[in-house]
This record gives sequence, structure tokens and C-alpha cells, in this order.
Amino acid sequence: MSEVFDSLRAIEELNPKLNAFVHVCGAGNLAGEIPVAIKDNIATAGIPTTCASRILRGFVSPFDATAVERLRKWGACIVGKTNLDEFAMGSSTEHSAFGPAKNPWDLKRVPGGSSGGSAAAVAARMVPIALGSETGGSVRQPAALCGVVGVKPTYGRVSRWGLVAFASGLDQIGIVTKTVREAAEVLGVIAGHDPHDSTSSTHPVDDYTRDLDLGSHQDVRGLRFGVVTEAVEKLEGEVRANFDDALAVLRDLGATIENVSIPTLPYAIAVYYIVANAEASANLSRFDGIRYGARSTRAKTLEDVYVDSRGEGFGDEVKRRIMLGTFALSSGYYDAYYARAQRVRAKMRHDFAQAFGKFDFLVTPTTPESAFEIGAKTDDPLSMYLNDIFTAPANLVGCPAIAVPSGFDSKELPLSLQIMAPHFGEAAMLRAAAAFERETNYWRRRPPL
Amino acid sequence: MKITREEARRIADLARIEMDEPALDRMAAEMSKILTYIDQLSEVDVEGFEERAAGEATPMRDDIPHAPLDRALVERNAPAWQDGFFVVPKVIGGE
Repeated sequence: MSEVFDSLRAIEELNPKLNAFVHVCGAGNLAGEIPVAIKDNIATAGIPTTCASRILRGFVSPFDATAVERLRKWGACIVGKTNLDEFAMGSSTEHSAFGPAKNPWDLKRVPGGSSGGSAAAVAARMVPIALGSETGGSVRQPAALCGVVGVKPTYGRVSRWGLVAFASGLDQIGIVTKTVREAAEVLGVIAGHDPHDSTSSTHPVDDYTRDLDLGSHQDVRGLRFGVVTEAVEKLEGEVRANFDDALAVLRDLGATIENVSIPTLPYAIAVYYIVANAEASANLSRFDGIRYGARSTRAKTLEDVYVDSRGEGFGDEVKRRIMLGTFALSSGYYDAYYARAQRVRAKMRHDFAQAFGKFDFLVTPTTPESAFEIGAKTDDPLSMYLNDIFTAPANLVGCPAIAVPSGFDSKELPLSLQIMAPHFGEAAMLRAAAAFERETNYWRRRPPL
Repeated sequence: MKITREEARRIADLARIEMDEPALDRMAAEMSKILTYIDQLSEVDVEGFEERAAGEATPMRDDIPHAPLDRALVERNAPAWQDGFFVVPKVIGGE
């Protein structure tokens, strides 16, 4: 239990500065030994789940998400719920009804999003493990900006039961830890088929921690890493230099590194912001003031209950995305927008399949830049969306991906390497990431809190 | 793609979200900008690529009832509840 009490003490000391946690569990309710934080869009029985939205103020789920249930059985103690962009819609954790979370490396900067609270909590050493969720990079991008490990499993690897749905064809629960080994261990606990989630896979669950310590030279010698040309050709400055250094580390470990083209990559953001928002417009129709959450006191008719509750309860970014999604699915526009985006997505899956025919992994930087300042991008939604350019493709094609710390820029802000693997290739992906981590040890540096 | 205030109103109605005129105008402007960026998808040659992924069969299960949610826990989240029902404004017969 002492690890749990250390965690609660750290949260008490640091959370006022970081706003990483939106709910902290009382010392009386704690069972389990390993402190774990859960993103507040994942259902936890008896503990509020708000998705950082006014429309779910006070909501307490009647059941645990499957991933939470499996963690509890393993010995996790849920110490609290972490801050996020409302309904997981954002890349900075600024779109939260609880106010922004801060980056532990520089409190004037964002921790990334939407799982910014989870990434900040692990980076600040408040907890060793946090769950987040991914739809377009929302675990990897904040992990990158906070200097920690972020894993997105293959679509279907982890049950979505209890994850509040944003885009059902893209969503996955993801893992944030300070080292690759810890992420591998957690993946083994939460992965696997779940009868509650018909999109969860029956593909057997590997032992993800086996062979992680074989020795770096055995982990990547002879393996082929493809550098995605469309991702790197426009990179410059420190992010470019850091990425080149990361490739040099892999090369020294015996990896073969070559360029590979994913011609549809530049369209990933456009595809994502149609497909994800279209699915979101359907998924968020359940927030209607009827069965749970906030109901407007002004409502006189049934129609008012829906319209007023949603008008009052949703933040601007959520409304924007619902509007875009509704438009893309509406009569007269469906073919030009949603159907077309899905066809481009099918072509992207083809591009990735071709690339994985020649390479064991694909690599890019995780993000085009290090953590930006709070408020820098909130006036321009499109500039915020472009943060996901390297991360969104893995969600669109369903393949697993990991963000691993790759160093720091001249402002002492973390930078990150992304490794993508073929479907259900998590074991090899984790071994490669562990080899890189062992050679570089960037995770040992802690933020100056 | 340019979104007018009227188009924004049509979409807000479909989405059942209350929006006054200043909000509609702001939304129309933001959507126009984003959709203009998204319009680049029309450049891509998608010949031979279809909307739906080639079929995995939908998993099925036997139609056997399982334990339902605990009603007491559902009631706790309900904005308005009476005798096991969610209470809503009258639908039939007007106000």
C-alpha cells in the first residue's frame, strides 16, 4: 500500500500546479497495490466519469470498463481520473471543462491531448501507469510532449467496453508509462477478446514482456525500418536533427534503414477529420439530457430537452466536430465527404500494407514540434488539428504504434520517436522500442518540478 | 467549401444543438475554413478503392439474456425519475 500512499502524496503536492487529475480517490476507498490513473472518458464504477464535459457533470458509471476491471484484478489501485480534452476531442487538453492540464516540463505549455492529464501524471511521477485513449494519436502525442512512453494497440486488441465512444472504428484504449517494459506488462493485462465488445479481436495475446531484455543487438539487428518520406521531407531544425540522431542509434544497433513512401499520408488529417467527426456525431447523440448527465432547466418540450441540454452542456470544440460530422453524413454531401474519405482511407490501408511487405517497422517523429504554449493554437482549430499528422495514420489503418522518448530540444522540452508495426505486431514493436530506450535512457531525466 | 448561416442552421437542427445567430456565424466561418482544407481529398485517385473494408463477418452471439444494469445505479444518474421510468415533458397532446 505504500506505493499507493506515495502516489496520493505526490498528487496532493503536484496536482494544484498541473491539473492532471480531475478526480482523486479518497484514502478510504482504495484497494490494490499498484497506483494507476484512468483517463476520465473510461468508466470506473463508483468513481465519477465526466469526459471533462459539463454535460456529464456528476455521472457515475454503474460498471467498470473491461480494461479497468482487468487492471483491478491484477492488483491496480485506481487513485484518480485524469484530465482530457472534452470527449477526447483535442490535442492539448485545453478543451476541458476543468481547465487545461499543464506540461510538467514547462507549466506555460500544453501536455498535449487528448490524454494530457494521463501523460502529465506519469511524467511528473504521480503514478507509474495511466490509461488513456486514442482516436487520432491522443495517447502518443501527449506522451511525446511529456517525455514518456505511449502505446496505441492494434484496433481490436483492447476492449472498448467502458470507453466512452468518440469514433467507434478508430477508438482504442492506450497506455502511458515511463518505460517500455511497464507498458508491455500493462498491455498483457488489458489485451484480449471481450464478449462485451464485438470489435475486440480473438487474435491470441502474446507475452509482451518476454525477450524485452535479450540485449539491444538481438532486438533490432537485421530488422528493416522504413522512414516515411512524406513525414520527414518537410521537417527541419531540431526535430529533424533529433530524428536523424534516433535513426543513427537504430543503425548502430544493426537495423537496416531505408526510405519508404506512403503517398496518402499527407491526406491523413483530412480523412481523419471527416471520418472521426462523422462517427462522433452519431456517438454523441446519446447525450440528450434524458437518462444521465445535465438536463437544461429551461426545457419545456421534449425537443427543448435535447437542444437546450446539448447547447448548454457541450463545449465549442465538441460542437464544431459534431457539426462537421453531421454535415459530412447529410443528404447531398455524404458521397463527396464521408464516402470519399473512407475510400482514401482504404487506399491508405493499401499503402501501409505495401510498406509492411518490405519493412518490419515504419518510423517517423511522433509530432512535428515540441510542446507549444497554452493558448497558442486555440484560435485556429485547423492549426491544432495538424499536430496529429504523424499519429493519425495508425488510427486510420488500425496498426499498433508506440511513442518513445528520443531526447530534448534546446528549450529542454521532450522529443519523441514513433515506431509503427503491422497489425498485432506489438511484441516486436515493444522489443524494438525497448532496444532504443536501453541505448538512450532519456526516461531517466525528470521534469524540474 | 463555403458554409452559409442558413446551412449552419440546417446542420445545427439536424444535430439538435441550440445555436444563436452569432454562434451560427462563427460556426459557419470555422467550418468553411476546415472544409476547404478537407476539399483536397477530391484530388486523390480512389479508383478501385471502396468505402467498406472487405468483409469480416459480424460476430454473433446466442440470444440469451444476461443480468441487466442495477436499477438503483441507473436512477442515481437520472435527471428525472419516477417509479422506474425516466420522466420527460409530455410528447402527445401539446403543452
